[in-house]
Amino acid sequence: MTQTATVDAVMRTLADPTRRAVFERIVKSEEITVAELTRGSGVTQSAISQHLRSLKQAGLIADRPEGRNVHYRADPQGLAPLVDWMALYAVFWRDRFANLRTLLKEIDP
Amino acid sequence: MNDAALKSDTQDIVVDEVFPHAPETIWKTLTTGELIARWLMMPTTEFEPAKGKRFTFQTTPAGAWDGVIHCQVLEATPNERLVYAWKGGHEGNVGYGSRLDTVVTWTLSRVENGTRLRLVHSGFVLPKNGTAFKSMSEGWKKVVRNLDSIAAEQDSSKPLH
Repeated sequence: MTQTATVDAVMRTLADPTRRAVFERIVKSEEITVAELTRGSGVTQSAISQHLRSLKQAGLIADRPEGRNVHYRADPQGLAPLVDWMALYAVFWRDRFANLRTLLKEIDP
Repeated sequence: MNDAALKSDTQDIVVDEVFPHAPETIWKTLTTGELIARWLMMPTTEFEPAKGKRFTFQTTPAGAWDGVIHCQVLEATPNERLVYAWKGGHEGNVGYGSRLDTVVTWTLSRVENGTRLRLVHSGFVLPKNGTAFKSMSEGWKKVVRNLDSIAAEQDSSKPLH
């Protein structure tokens, strides 16, 4: 199920609080550069760059190189896997089946 | 446009697995309050596999929605079939926490080495092409607000909501 796989990727990417903070800042600005993201963030520019790579890989952001700068912006399509209940429940039930299997093993070895 | 094109498109989630346990054992885990809480991982009010019985699950609130999933047993045939309504959400929400009016159906069938357990969660209304993304730009901020709770819980492998 490709949709589920995508939800997993998006969830994993956003599970990191720092990366989530970076993503939220990008969402709030029209476009933003690495230098602007680094300023006042309390993390190094290389750490920010690494988070940007993960976010891009998960399809959450898009970039636009211009001269020596790269401008980042949120890709609305990237959050698509999270916007409907169905995608959320696909992951939810699969996890619950795993729980059920573990519990059954415990109560009926 | 014909009638079919005007109708909302609903879809189902299906999970179908074989467990090396008797249907009776699986039925017990699906219908005993204390056991339900252990695998479903959501606080629930007293559950009873009796037609008409109402119960709830508490999940993370979003916007005007208090996070309560309202359920009602629609059908309960011991060791064979359990159906309940699963409703929640609010019109004012987009994505997580939006209106939800669905049905959960559990079917148990005895197979050679245990039980085939089939879950069908039906009635998801899918956003129609194109309009989904238009309305999403409006709801963008709401989605981001919900992100923290969703991702944080996913991270700590607690319930998704």
